[in-house]
Amino acid sequence: MQIPVVFLGGQYNHLIVRALKELGVESWMIRPNVKLEDLQVDGLVMGGGPHSVNDGLERFGNLPQIIERGWFPMLGICLSHQLLGFLLGGRVVKGRKPEYGRTIIRVIEADEIFQGVGSEFVAWASHNDEVKQDGGRFRVLARSDYCDVEALRHESKQIYGVQFHVEVAETPKGKEILKNFVKMCR
Amino acid sequence: MGGSKAAIATSGGVDSTTCAVLAHKALGGRLICFFMDTGFMREGEVEEVSEMLRSLGLPLRVLYVRDRFIEALRGKRDAEEKRITFRETFYRVLSEEAKKEMCDVLIQGTIAPDWIETSGGIKTQHNVLEQLGLNTVDRYGFRLLEPLLELYKDQVREVARYLGVRLEASERQPFPGPGLMVRCIGEVREEKLKVLRAATSVVERALGGLRPPPNQYFAAVVEDERSAASHEAERAVREVLPGGRVQYFNCRATGVKGDNRAYGKIAVVSGGKAGTEDLFRLPERIIHEDGEVVRAVYELGGEGSGMGGGSTNRYAVLVRAVETRDFMTAKPYNVPMELLERLCRDLLEIKGVSSVCYDITSKPPATVEYE
Repeated sequence: MQIPVVFLGGQYNHLIVRALKELGVESWMIRPNVKLEDLQVDGLVMGGGPHSVNDGLERFGNLPQIIERGWFPMLGICLSHQLLGFLLGGRVVKGRKPEYGRTIIRVIEADEIFQGVGSEFVAWASHNDEVKQDGGRFRVLARSDYCDVEALRHESKQIYGVQFHVEVAETPKGKEILKNFVKMCR
Repeated sequence: MGGSKAAIATSGGVDSTTCAVLAHKALGGRLICFFMDTGFMREGEVEEVSEMLRSLGLPLRVLYVRDRFIEALRGKRDAEEKRITFRETFYRVLSEEAKKEMCDVLIQGTIAPDWIETSGGIKTQHNVLEQLGLNTVDRYGFRLLEPLLELYKDQVREVARYLGVRLEASERQPFPGPGLMVRCIGEVREEKLKVLRAATSVVERALGGLRPPPNQYFAAVVEDERSAASHEAERAVREVLPGGRVQYFNCRATGVKGDNRAYGKIAVVSGGKAGTEDLFRLPERIIHEDGEVVRAVYELGGEGSGMGGGSTNRYAVLVRAVETRDFMTAKPYNVPMELLERLCRDLLEIKGVSSVCYDITSKPPATVEYE
């Protein structure tokens, strides 16, 4: 099982690799300029980073094509979640009340990615921007008090985005969510 | 490594000590350990660490270079300027000593959070060079070897236990490379450092007995000078803490918001009555009203507002205790209020201390250390 992590400069990108390894998955960091045809993998996780999708997509390399044409399950975290929301037709805006640290995630649509984690759980987030659905081609799976789109899923493919961080120790259910994603990659 | 001789910079912390033990196993007599007295060590630490490293059988040379650091830092207030000055002084000393010992390799115990935070621009850890594109051969005359780069603190502790490193090293709470410098918020001065050193001993004694122990606990010190906060921030505080009020210290501290460095205000909340879990909700509420705030502390006691003149006591001691697995994220440790009150009384006994505050901020938006 091979699931690399796309490095976008975020603080927890390397922790995603650690978490996947702890689940017995072969994982390593790759750059966003990787070519789709070179990705002989079972799944792909894309990490967070310090920029905003509204400042242009140059820093995201080939991710837009990979997201459009990739045949494997994908999970975008934080900035990559925002990239997914943006590419799938939603809007990304500056959060009026940004979340830094603890937040409560409320699941609003049951999905295999949240199997076994309950309808409400504690998670940690750290973001200035957030996704608004506004007619985007995705379903909203979860929200919090300060953010409308905490999790999204592509309308037909196994492409997921989470605004919060499943890879940090302070999100106790994070490992379970990651495990659910790994199951889809088999 | 070929036939080269190597130096290792050790601080007595778990990362560099584990790395030194590994290197010593691999290189034997071709290794020399340097331990630098930068002037930013805690009470008695230079002696304790030297003794501990010698007891592990490591070939040690202690470098007494306090004056060079104090001199280089004089007049500097900005956190990043201080950290970069520390790094430059540190490697200039190491470069000179490595040449004397004819070492062309430097081994160091840099771990994952060090290069992640430094290359992400959150704060410049002194032991990160190549990841910033700095060529160490040209600059300092040695190649670098960093065997622990992929590990986090909890994983290093596992390696240390496996190697049989003494408990006092493998379980030691983290202490930053630049030591007390980053807890002496703003300009470093002898008198301020003295207050900090005394406060550090008191805080470590008081909180070291908690079970389970906080993963890190320490004191920081800042001039007790404050300004008024906005009405919106005052209102947000009173919603959580009836009767409470909020001011800002006239200094800046380091934080991390959405993968970006933040260097902003420290809010001081005082008065009111609330349990610690309620206090932990305050930083978010204050930041929602004022985005320049990066952390909040709760005033446990002191002489008053700190706005009046005439008093000779002029430092605020900030007490920080956190719970964390890997130090990439952390939450404030819920220290029992009676213990905090006792600690506050003890700290106010230190000459120069005018108030005592308890840090109630998680990482993010704050970092564990203040600068």
